[in-house]
Amino acid sequence: MSVQTPRDFEALEAQARTLLSVFIAAGHEAVAPPTIQPAAVFLDVVGESLRGRTYVFTGLDGEELCLRPDLTVPTCLLYLQRHPGPEACARYCYNGTAFRIQPEGADAAHPREFRQAGIESYGDLARQDAEAKTFALVLTALQQAGLRTWQLRIGDLGLFDAVLAAAEMPERWRRRLRHQFGRYEAFRAELKRLTTQPARSIGAIPAAVLEALEFDDPVGAEQRVADYLDSAGIELSGTRSLSEITDGLLSIAADAKAKPLDAATAAMIDCYLDVAAPARLAGTHLRNLLGKASPNIAAAIDTFERRVGLLEGSGVDMSTVEFSAEFGRNLAYYTGFVFEVVAPSLGRSSPVAGGGRYDSLLKAVGAPRQIPAVGGAIHTERLLAVVSGGKR
Amino acid sequence: MSAQLVFAVPSKGRLMEQTGDFLSQAGLELRKVGDARGYRGEIEGLGGIDVAYVSASQIVAHLNAGSAHIGVTGEDLVRENISNADRRVVFLKKLGFGYADVVVAVPQCWLDVDTVADLQAAAAAFRRTHGRSLRVATKYLNLTRRFFSANGLTDYRIVESLGATEGTPAAGTAELIVDITSTGATLKANGLKLLEDGVILRSQANLVASKVAAWPAETKKTRDAMLDRLGLAGQALF
Repeated sequence: MSVQTPRDFEALEAQARTLLSVFIAAGHEAVAPPTIQPAAVFLDVVGESLRGRTYVFTGLDGEELCLRPDLTVPTCLLYLQRHPGPEACARYCYNGTAFRIQPEGADAAHPREFRQAGIESYGDLARQDAEAKTFALVLTALQQAGLRTWQLRIGDLGLFDAVLAAAEMPERWRRRLRHQFGRYEAFRAELKRLTTQPARSIGAIPAAVLEALEFDDPVGAEQRVADYLDSAGIELSGTRSLSEITDGLLSIAADAKAKPLDAATAAMIDCYLDVAAPARLAGTHLRNLLGKASPNIAAAIDTFERRVGLLEGSGVDMSTVEFSAEFGRNLAYYTGFVFEVVAPSLGRSSPVAGGGRYDSLLKAVGAPRQIPAVGGAIHTERLLAVVSGGKR
Repeated sequence: MSAQLVFAVPSKGRLMEQTGDFLSQAGLELRKVGDARGYRGEIEGLGGIDVAYVSASQIVAHLNAGSAHIGVTGEDLVRENISNADRRVVFLKKLGFGYADVVVAVPQCWLDVDTVADLQAAAAAFRRTHGRSLRVATKYLNLTRRFFSANGLTDYRIVESLGATEGTPAAGTAELIVDITSTGATLKANGLKLLEDGVILRSQANLVASKVAAWPAETKKTRDAMLDRLGLAGQALF
C-alpha cells in the first residue's frame, strides 16, 4: 500500500486534491503544520505509550522531537499560535504525512509513513451540529474520492459518563472505571473488583498509620502521618507533598471500609457497554434500558438522538450506521462523539477514516481553558487501495 | 578470515574478570593479542575465534547488527536495546554473575503506594493536583514502557537518566525511578523503596548468540567446538 511508482504518487496526489477541494468548499482553511514536532506535547497528551509508536529523537540541544504521529495535535498547536487569546472559531483542513513505528511483519495497511487528509473545527459551541457536519463532510469527501460501500460506527463517551455519574459510588471509583474504558478485559476486571473487594491490600501499610486514619479528620490525619514518618526515620522527600500522600492513604482507608459496589449498579454499567445497535434505534433502546435511571442519562440520550437527527439531516444514510457503547477509539484524547469508517475489504483493524470530539485537548496543549474541538481524518493510502480495488 | 567467529566480551571491570573466570573453569583461557592495552584477543587452544573486548552495551549492538557472533552481556541490556530480542538473538546460558534486577522504586515516604496499581491511583491524583504526569527517571526507556503498558499504567512521563538515577526523586527532577539494583542498598540510601510487584526483569550475564550474523559452515563448526568445551553442546540452535 506504499507509494512505489510515479503513477501511484500521481493517483494519491489527485485523490488528495479531490479530498481537499471538498473540505475547502465547506469552509475549511487549508493549513500545513510542521512535520517535526516537540515530542513532549504528544507524550503528555497521549501518554508515554506513544513513544513505542512514534519516531522520537533528540535535537542538538537535547530537546526531544518527533515525527508527527498524526495531524490533529499539530493542527491544535497551529490554532493556538494563531489564536492565543480568547477562543475563536476556526475550521482547518490538511493533507500531510504522519509517521508510526510498526512492528516487524506489519501488513500493507499499516505503513510507517502515510498521508492523512482531515478536518478540524475549533470553538464551535453548537456541538452536535458541528459533530454531524464533521462526520457528514468526511463521508462526502470519501464518496467524492470514489468510496462506494462502508460500515459506519459511532460511539458516545458523553453517554458513558452519564451512566457512570448515575451509578452510585465514590468519585474515585468512577475514575478507576473511566481509566479502563475501551480495555474490555481490564474494565470487566475492575468492575468485578469493585463489586467484591474494592480495597487494595492494606497489609503493607503500618498499623500506626491505619489507626491514625480512623478519624474523619484530614488535617489531623496529615499530622499523624507526619509523626509516623518522623518516628520511623523516613524522610519526606520528592515533589509529592505530605497532604497528597495522606489523601492517598485516606482513599485506601475509605475503600477498605466502603460497601462494595451494588451488583445491580454494576449490571447496569455492564449492560450499557454491551449495547450495539443500529444508530436510529439505539436511542429508544437506551431509553428502555436506562432512561429511568437518572435525568442525566435521559439528557445524554436526548443529545444522542439530536445528533442522529442532525446527521440524517446532513444527508448521512443512517441505516448504515451502528452505535456501539464500547467504541471509544484508541486515542486517549476523545471526550464525546466518535466515529469510524470501515471498508469491508480492509476490515475493522484498518479503518479508512475516523474522528470525533476532543474538548480537553487544546487545554492540555496550552490553551487557557477548554475549547470545543471536533475533527476527522482519512487514511489516504488505505482509501486509494480500496477505491482502486487492488488494481494497483 | 571472514569465517572467524567473533566473540565479544566485556572490556573492563568485574564483568571482564568474571567472564574470564567462567571460561577458565571450562579450560578456556582468554589472551590478548598484541599490546596488553589493546582490545583484541584469542582463546588459547581454540582456533578460528577473534575475541573482541567491547563495552557491555556495545556488545548488544554488535549482536543485533551481526558484527559479533557470540557475546557475554546482561539480559537487561539485550531486552532494552533489541525490540524483538527472541528473533534476533539466542540466550545460550545464564552465567551466574552480573546479577541485577530492573525495578520500579518510589520514595519510602509514599506510604500509600506499594504496587503498580497504587501508582496508577497516585499518578491520576498527581495530575489533578500538579497538572502534569509523574516523571520516571530511567535509562531503560523500552523496558519501562513495555512493563507499565502491560500493567495498565498510562499516565507517566519518562525522563532519560544516564547516571545517579537514584538521586533524581530527592533532587526533584523525577518522582520515581526504574533502575537496576543488586542488593537494594543504594535504593535505601537514597530513601527509595521497591514496589511489591515492581520487578521488571531479573537479569544476569548471559552467553548470547546472534541469529543475524553470517554463519557459514566453518563458523558453525567453530561455534560447536566452543559450545562443546563449555558443556553446551547439543542445544537447539538456529
